[in-house]
Amino acid sequence: MKNELNELQLTKKSQEFLENLRLYLFSTGKNPDEIEDIVNELEVHLFEAEKKGKPIEKIIGKSPKEYMKMVSDEMAIDYRTWFKYICLIVFGSFSISIFIDLWEGNLSYTFMEIIGSIAIGAIFIVSVVMGFKYISTINQSNKKQGIVLVSIAILPIVLFVGLIYLNRIIDTPVIYFGNKGSLAIGVIAALVIIGVSIWAKSWTLIIIMAFLILPDYLLNLTPLQDEAQLIISVIITYGGIGIYLWILSKMEKSN
Amino acid sequence: MSTTQMLKGIIDGCLLAIIKNKEVYGYELAEKLGDYGFESFSEGTIYPLLMRMQKEELVSSTLKKSTAGPKRKYYSLTTKGELELKNFVERWATLQNNVNRVLDYESDKKFTKGDEMIEK
Repeated sequence: MKNELNELQLTKKSQEFLENLRLYLFSTGKNPDEIEDIVNELEVHLFEAEKKGKPIEKIIGKSPKEYMKMVSDEMAIDYRTWFKYICLIVFGSFSISIFIDLWEGNLSYTFMEIIGSIAIGAIFIVSVVMGFKYISTINQSNKKQGIVLVSIAILPIVLFVGLIYLNRIIDTPVIYFGNKGSLAIGVIAALVIIGVSIWAKSWTLIIIMAFLILPDYLLNLTPLQDEAQLIISVIITYGGIGIYLWILSKMEKSN
Repeated sequence: MSTTQMLKGIIDGCLLAIIKNKEVYGYELAEKLGDYGFESFSEGTIYPLLMRMQKEELVSSTLKKSTAGPKRKYYSLTTKGELELKNFVERWATLQNNVNRVLDYESDKKFTKGDEMIEK
């Protein structure tokens, strides 16, 4: 191909370093454009250095972690982008769960459910940020990386199962929404999902929603007990979403 | 103290001096520093420095096509950068003088005025 000249052939070690740097800067909340900027600049450098047979240590020193930190320290935290992502995750997931509940009639939540869901959302975001940072800074085997990612995926499942039980044991006030209230909330939730999908040009939310609604619906057709249905559907949902995100990141890497 | 620690701040000035002479991109800059004898430091160290210098508006950058490979980021000196370079040259001259005076005088003293030192 003619384009081959423009494609950089880097060693695996250099490619991995650049990927890790990108991940590290992303998880430390840096601006995506600035991240691409410095990654591209280093890519050019590594490319030319490798042509002359220099090892990567000559460029980034003995500790990739220290080097990443050095770069990161010079970049300002991009609160706006970060805020956008958090809004996307939190509003997206709340919209989805509200949407699902609407299938079953008017909305009503206990105080515990509302507070618990918000807390789990927050814990999930923190664990993703910390997990990504951990993976990108320390050179680990794929096995260790897998364990971290699976743990992150399992954490919300465990917390939600805990919340379901806690909600049964402890009585907290229930907030009821009438017909109009439920409808209004549902319309807002639908608009958020559609808006976010268009804005992000991605099917992700729609697919996540399918994973959330379909297991419940299909399991309802089986003779399984309610509790078993609940637990299996939660596992399929979060496992499925985890696998989907994993495939997505693999696809992005190979691009 | 390691050489790397001593180099902090000094490399900045050297970068400014090289950039002033000719518009350069990162790899070229690192090569030149190496040619001048700064071989022990990691080449990538210059990028965080360049980022800071750009934030402080001492240098500006433009992307340019290259014959082989992707676009390169070329750096050039701003007026503010030229001023900073001038200051650096002055600071370096003073520092160099002082350090040399200390080293010359103290090492002289060791050999010729050794008795005096012992008395203390």
